[in-house]
Parts: sequence; structure tokens; C-alpha cells
Amino acid sequence: MQRRKFINLAALMGLSTIASSSLYATDYRYTKAAAWTANTVDDAIQKMYGDISTIHNGITLGVPKVASNGANVPLDIRSDIPAKSLTIFQNVNPEATVIAYSIHKNSLIDYSLKIKMQEGPGEITVILEGRDGKFYATRKTLIVAGGGCDP
Amino acid sequence: MKIKAKLTNNIVKVKVLAKHEMSTYSQAQKRTGDSSNANFITHLKASIKDEIVFEVSTSQFLSKNPIFKFKFKDGKKGDVLTMTWTDRKGNTKTSKTKIK
Repeated sequence: MQRRKFINLAALMGLSTIASSSLYATDYRYTKAAAWTANTVDDAIQKMYGDISTIHNGITLGVPKVASNGANVPLDIRSDIPAKSLTIFQNVNPEATVIAYSIHKNSLIDYSLKIKMQEGPGEITVILEGRDGKFYATRKTLIVAGGGCDP
Repeated sequence: MKIKAKLTNNIVKVKVLAKHEMSTYSQAQKRTGDSSNANFITHLKASIKDEIVFEVSTSQFLSKNPIFKFKFKDGKKGDVLTMTWTDRKGNTKTSKTKIK
């Protein structure tokens, strides 16, 4: 495990010399490791992007009002804002960061995925890191009716 | 991985199913008594030749056997889409498909 981390880190450092954003692979689990163990959404956002202010515009987030199965909560996200990354957080699981998309030259932000969430009321937060240096955000609440992280 | 990649009006629409247990730390703790047995995909990327078109860093909170749906532009019919995932234990899997 240690050796693999070292090799991946070395590979990332080698890749970082390439200027083109399309060739530059990013593993945020290494470059922003602290964001993945943060327990609260605010802390996770700070660890991922620093102290940012966000514009609440430009991102469409689809979540069910009531998710019947906490093991498979469907989300969809769309945006036309030219972006570097987009990260999804939620406030009910032990750690807040769910997934971080690296946006490349030909990537379009039109994603669907299914996530695990613990039972009860919850909130999804999406932060988009714009190429214009600004951050955009949206939030939606939902109720998770059953299932969840633990079988 | 089961990958479907279809080109319509200069946009390639992709749906990929990655077979993976995506076990969380608490699931591993409950099932095996040791949370360090947790294993989930941590990184996944899709490229055409050297050009990355989709890339994610992921957590234990994606559903089991996760399905990713995404889109990108400037792909052509017949282009080979190569996808690779890496998981927490260092396993990797690469699959390819042609854009239809």
C-alpha cells in the first residue's frame, strides 16, 4: 500500500510538468487527501478548495425528493460553465466528500451516478471550480427512506 | 467493465458499469471485523489515445457495481475509448470499446 502510494505520487509529479490540461491526470485522493477524511461538508469544501465564496447559479442538480433505497440514490448534474473540477458532498455519511470530477478539454458536465446515503433527511452540495477562477455551488435536500451505508 | 459509447450530433454519450464491491469501512468492519478490508474504486478515467475525456476521484460512497454516465465532444465513430479504474487496494482494470 505504501509502495503503491509512492509510485502513484511520483507518477503524478512527472505528469504535472505537462502543461495541457487534457493530458494531466489528477487523482484528488492524493492531491487533496484531507478532503476525503473530512467529516463535515464545510470542512471538506475547505480541504478541497480552500476558503472560497460561491456563486449560486449555473449548475443543475437533480435529486429525488424521497430516495427509496439509500444504497442507490440517483443524482444528475449538468452545467455549461467552463470548469476545472466539480465535487459532490453530502452531510449524512461519516465522511462528506463523495466524488470529484476532473474536467478535461472535451469533457461535458452532464453526469449521472448513484450513491450511498444514510437514512433520514440529507443534503447534497455540488461545488464547481470554474476556469474563470470563481466557484459555483448548488444544494438540494432529500429524504432517504431506507437502506444506506450499512447493509 | 461494460461500456456503451454512442455518438450523436458530435456528442459521445457513455454508460459504463464497473463491477466492484465498493465496500465501505463500516461494511468491512461489520462483515470481517476489520475496517481496513474495505475496498472501493478510488479513481477512474476514460481516454481516446492520450486525451482524457472523463476522470473521477471516488469514495466509498458510490453504489456497489457503480454505473457512470457521462458525455464528451469531438469523438468519432470507431475511436477506441479506453477506461481504467484503480481501487483502494491497488487493483486496476482496463476495458476498451469503440464509439458507435
